[in-house]
Amino acid sequence: MLKGKYTRYLAAAAVAALMTGTSVAEAAGVLTIGRREDGTTFDPIATAQNIDFWVFSNVYDVLVRVDKSGTKLEPGLAESWTVSEDGTEYTFKMRPAKFSDGSDITSEDAKYSLTRIRDDAGSLWSDSYQIIESMETPDPQTLVVKLSGPSAPFMASLAMPGASILSKAGMEEMGAEAYAERPIGSGAFSVEDWLRGDRVILAKNPHFWEADRVSLDGVEWISIPDDNTRILKVQAGEIDAAIFVPFARIEDLKQDPNLKVLLDQSTREDHLLINHESGALAQKEVRQALDMAIDKQSIVDAVTFGIGEVAYSYIPKGSLYHYADNLQRPYDPEKAKQMLADAGASDLTLDYLVRAGDQVDEQIAVLLQQQLGQAGITVNLSKMDPSQTWDMLVAGEYDISVMYWTKDVIDPDQKTTFVLGHDSNQNYMTRYNNPEVEALVAAARVEMDEAKRETMYVDLQKMAKEDVNWIDLYYSPYRNVTQSNIEGFFQNPLGRFFLEDTVKN
Amino acid sequence: MSRYRFVLYRPFQLLPVLVGISIITFVLVRSIPGDPARVLLGPRSTEEALRRVREQFGLDEPLWLQYFYFVKNLFKGELGKSILYKVDVLKLIATRIEPTLVLVIGSVLLALLIATPMAAIAARRRGSWPDHVIRIISTAGLGFPAFWLAIMLILLFSVQLGWFPVTGYGRTFVDKIHHMTLPCLTAGLALAAVLTRNLRASILAELQSDQATAARARGLSENTVFWRHVMPNSLVPTVNLLAVNIGWLISGSVVIETVFAIPGMGQLLVRGIFTRDYMVVQGVAMVFACATVLVNFLADILTVSIDPRIKL
Repeated sequence: MLKGKYTRYLAAAAVAALMTGTSVAEAAGVLTIGRREDGTTFDPIATAQNIDFWVFSNVYDVLVRVDKSGTKLEPGLAESWTVSEDGTEYTFKMRPAKFSDGSDITSEDAKYSLTRIRDDAGSLWSDSYQIIESMETPDPQTLVVKLSGPSAPFMASLAMPGASILSKAGMEEMGAEAYAERPIGSGAFSVEDWLRGDRVILAKNPHFWEADRVSLDGVEWISIPDDNTRILKVQAGEIDAAIFVPFARIEDLKQDPNLKVLLDQSTREDHLLINHESGALAQKEVRQALDMAIDKQSIVDAVTFGIGEVAYSYIPKGSLYHYADNLQRPYDPEKAKQMLADAGASDLTLDYLVRAGDQVDEQIAVLLQQQLGQAGITVNLSKMDPSQTWDMLVAGEYDISVMYWTKDVIDPDQKTTFVLGHDSNQNYMTRYNNPEVEALVAAARVEMDEAKRETMYVDLQKMAKEDVNWIDLYYSPYRNVTQSNIEGFFQNPLGRFFLEDTVKN
Repeated sequence: MSRYRFVLYRPFQLLPVLVGISIITFVLVRSIPGDPARVLLGPRSTEEALRRVREQFGLDEPLWLQYFYFVKNLFKGELGKSILYKVDVLKLIATRIEPTLVLVIGSVLLALLIATPMAAIAARRRGSWPDHVIRIISTAGLGFPAFWLAIMLILLFSVQLGWFPVTGYGRTFVDKIHHMTLPCLTAGLALAAVLTRNLRASILAELQSDQATAARARGLSENTVFWRHVMPNSLVPTVNLLAVNIGWLISGSVVIETVFAIPGMGQLLVRGIFTRDYMVVQGVAMVFACATVLVNFLADILTVSIDPRIKL
């Protein structure tokens, strides 16, 4: 009897000892955020992953930032700037600011960072900065950038997280690999520790020039790959926030009084790629018929649970120069059928490339197969591993396939060039070819008058719609969830988290 | 001690196995379609940028030369540089190996802790209701998928009862045990199901062996017979089964680490495969393969030391 009693006490003591273990990590004022995967590096030029960029924005500052609306640039480390008459010389006046190690941020550091993203062998972004011809630093607060020609999107490219300002002295002393592990930052938070595969631990950077604005003591980005457990972790109150909430979970999380569901405007657009070089798809009328045979609203309802919105322009809603009155072809399978018959493509058969294992993609595929079937189009689904679908898209071994795009830069030039401007990527794998559009894309890139430029982009959106370069399907927001005591957790359309304004009550 | 002689020459026998593994992992990861450079750069990549990345990581070299570099690196004790993370794979593995080790060892311990008494009870009371219950549970246990069991355990012990954290690994020793209990239980339960059935069968066979009969004839109590003669002999097939299942456990760690967000090698491998990070995949596969080979080697030593009759 006695023995049994003792074992029970022992067990109770053991459980109690284990339970006290958890509370260690919970420091006041530290925001814990669950995300799908861990970051890959802190070297801004060596990654193209959103998961990295979204943390860079809080560790590094840039010369100019994108504002909360995602449509305007605002001063960052550059307090002000002037542009020469011919649009090729930019003079930046930098504000007095310090790196996380307390050293001054000078124009020399800015020059170094921009030179690095343009020239370094490990830079994934060098193409975007080739326009920079030379840079001068007449004094520590002044940076003069000379371009090889006028470029309207140049300013926007400075706001890209890849163009984050690094410490030249720090980089030279530590070397790129060590810097990428434990960087000297210029932003609101600095990297205190990085437990690979588990979490990135950020601490408030007391030297940040806007340190007064920051209320959090720190931030922990925790990697929780499984959607279900990530959400459970928030529900159990173990973390303050989780990002990438699946569409299907939004409604039931909204019912939880302890949680806040945040749907912030993003630049994500899902679209149906069309291979313009494949048989009847070369005809504009056939592509227009496809557009009319697809009921986008039903996709929004079924796939996004009504959270998304029907898309109608390649420049997403909420983005710079988005054209809100763009043509939306009505869903009309009968007319589509007629148009196909007129174009001599009544018995159209399409190969649809689907990313296997991607729930949303597979769901859309089934819907589209059925909808296109009503217009008399036979759709053969071929499910492939995501990396493989990519190769096949590039090689043109497909008829239709759903892809998505999120923007890295506020300026529409990057996306426009890739999608319509006949770049080396075959107009985003579609093989779309319209010389008139191509010429307009090039002209818009160097048009420095904003009003004129906007008109050009409106025209481009209309022309792309007329030609059906691809079929716009839906826009969807960022989907995040936080505990109800978290205020100001916000993601702008380009994905930047404004953690400097986040408060944990 | 001649029966331990295999310990000396077995490593040399294993060498061709390791060479084979290196070739297979190297070829397999490259034969799945997909391009690491394209994954790294995203869909907006230009041909020029792709070319630069391929050059930087030696992906433009002929395959045989890439394999040569891989082996050359192995001899230098290196596993190459990750394409995605841009650091040495060995360094990545070093930061990720502990959670996986804890998971595997913890699961085995829990499995033994559960399976041994269950099998002993079931076998000694063969045909009784405890035997039936244990057999039903262990048969059913074989059928539960790990990710489902994991979510159920989380729902019960973390969300409902609040005893254990939902996910993660922890930082202090106690914290780590606290975090790893549910993951180890998830893998341990499945393993226990396999072990219980097997151990029960071998105990039953040993209970009727000549050795046990002889011991009983010498007047030893049934308990002494069981623990001194029956149990050790029954463990031999179990040890071997355990060794075989290590490979299964390691591959199972991939699922369990993902569900429980454990920063181990399984997760590293999964992401490596998705991003076609060749160096990471072949590096992790090599380590897993070596671990499996090593465990089987240790199991052989253990088998010989438990049962003196066995010669290898």
